[in-house]
Amino acid sequence: MSQIRVINTSLFLLLTFLIQESVIARINFPLGGFSLYIAVLMIVLSLEDRTGSLVFGFIGGLILDLSPAAQSPFGQWALAMTFIGYLFSVNRETVGDFNDRPIAFISLISFGAAVSMITFLVIGVLLGQNNGGVLRNLTLIFTNSFWTFLIVPIFIPITLKIRKLLLTNRERV
Amino acid sequence: MARGGGNRSRLLLVLLLVSSLFLITLDLRGVNLAGSIRSGVSTVISPVENLFSKLLSPIGNLASDVRNFGQSKKKIAELSKQVDELKAKQIIDEDTVGQLNQLKNVLDLAGRGGYKVVAARVINRGSTESFKETLTIDVGSSDGISRNMTVISESGLVGVIKSVGSNSSIVLLMSDPTFKIGVRIAGTQSIGVVSGQGGSTYLLQLLDATGEIKVGDTLVARGSQGGRPFVPGVPVGTVTTVQSNASSITQNADVTSSTNLEKLSIVAVVITPPNGDPRDSLVPKPRPTATVYITPSPTPTPSR
Repeated sequence: MSQIRVINTSLFLLLTFLIQESVIARINFPLGGFSLYIAVLMIVLSLEDRTGSLVFGFIGGLILDLSPAAQSPFGQWALAMTFIGYLFSVNRETVGDFNDRPIAFISLISFGAAVSMITFLVIGVLLGQNNGGVLRNLTLIFTNSFWTFLIVPIFIPITLKIRKLLLTNRERV
Repeated sequence: MARGGGNRSRLLLVLLLVSSLFLITLDLRGVNLAGSIRSGVSTVISPVENLFSKLLSPIGNLASDVRNFGQSKKKIAELSKQVDELKAKQIIDEDTVGQLNQLKNVLDLAGRGGYKVVAARVINRGSTESFKETLTIDVGSSDGISRNMTVISESGLVGVIKSVGSNSSIVLLMSDPTFKIGVRIAGTQSIGVVSGQGGSTYLLQLLDATGEIKVGDTLVARGSQGGRPFVPGVPVGTVTTVQSNASSITQNADVTSSTNLEKLSIVAVVITPPNGDPRDSLVPKPRPTATVYITPSPTPTPSR
C-alpha cells in the first residue's frame, strides 16, 4: 500500500467527516440518527486488504475522535475502529463484493456500523464513562443501522468510484 | 511469504492498538491532546455549519415536523393565521420574524431574571456517533463565552456550554443522560435533582424526605456557586407523573422540560449571573380564568 493512497484516502475520509458533522448531523432522523461517515468508513474497510483495513480503521477512528461534540477520550474511536478493521480483514472474503451479492454487502456495512458503535460503548464502559441507558443506546445503534441499510445503497456506487480514483496505477492493475 | 505477511499484519495490529491505548491514557491523565484539535476542527466547521444551517433548515426540521404532526395541528392553525397577518404587513421573511420573536422572548426571560446574556443561533446538532445530546451554537470565545455557562431558551433551561471554539460552542443538552441539575419546587423549599434520560422525559429525585411532589409542580434551577454551571431561577420543567414506590428512600417523579429541545433555533448564553436569586419570578404564570357569577333575578311575588 503506497503512502500516497494512505494520504488520499485519509483526505477523502476527512472530507466525509466534515460533510457528516456539518450537513448530515443537521437532519433530525426519527428515533436516532444516521452516520454517513461510519457507513463510508465501513465501505472503505470492506474493500481493503488486511493491512489497509487495519491502517484505515485506525486513521478513520482518529478522524472520528476529532468530532467537536465528542466527550470521550481522544483515541477511543481509534481503538474501536482498529478492532473493527481487524474483524473486516478476517471476515471480508466470506461476503463477497457489492456487485456479486449487494444485499449481503449492504447488510455487512450496516452490521459493521452497529458493531463499531457497540465496541465504542463497551470500551467506554471499561473506561468508566456514562453513556446513558442500555435501551437508549440500543435504540440509537439499531436506528443507525436501519438508516445505514436504507441509505447506503445510494452512496456505495459513488464511494466505489472515488476509491477507484484513489488507487495508484499499479494498484488498479 | 504468506506467513511473513501474516506476522507483519499482526505486528501492525498490535502497534495500532497500543497507539490507541497510549492516546487514551494520555487523554485520561490530563494531557490535553484533543481539546485544541477539536477546538480547531470546530473553528473550521462552524462557517460551513452556518452556511448549511441557512440552506438546510427546512430539511432538518422535516422529520420532526412529521413526528409532531398531531401535536402541531393546532399550532399550524395559529401559524397560518400569523402568516396571513405577516403577509398583510408585507413582511417577507417569515423565518427571520420567528427568530426575532424567540429572541425577544429569550431576552425578556433574561431581563426578568437579571441575567446578562449573549444571544446565539443554533447551527447544528450533535452527531449520533458521539452518543451525546448536544447542539452547536454560533457564538464562541470571541463573544465572551466560556465553559460551564448556562444556556437558556425563551421558556427555560436548555443546557450547559461544554466546549468553546473561537466562533462556535458545543452545548450539552439537559436531555443527555449524564446531565444533572439541582432544582427547587417553585413556591416551596423542597429541593431535588433532575436527570436527563436521553429523551423528552426527565427524572426528578426529591432530596427532601418530608417534601411533597404534585403533578403540575414547576421546577426551577437552584443555581451553583458563582452561577456556574447553573444560574438560579431558570425554569427547568413541570412534574407530569409522581412515582409512588414505598421501598424508595427518595420521592421520584417524571418531568417534562420547559423547552422543546427539538425545535430550538435561538438561545441565549448567560455570561453574568444575577446579583440575587430571582426565586420564582421566571415561572410562567397560569393564565387567568374568567369567572362569571350569575345572580338569579328575584322571582316575582304574586301581588295581592
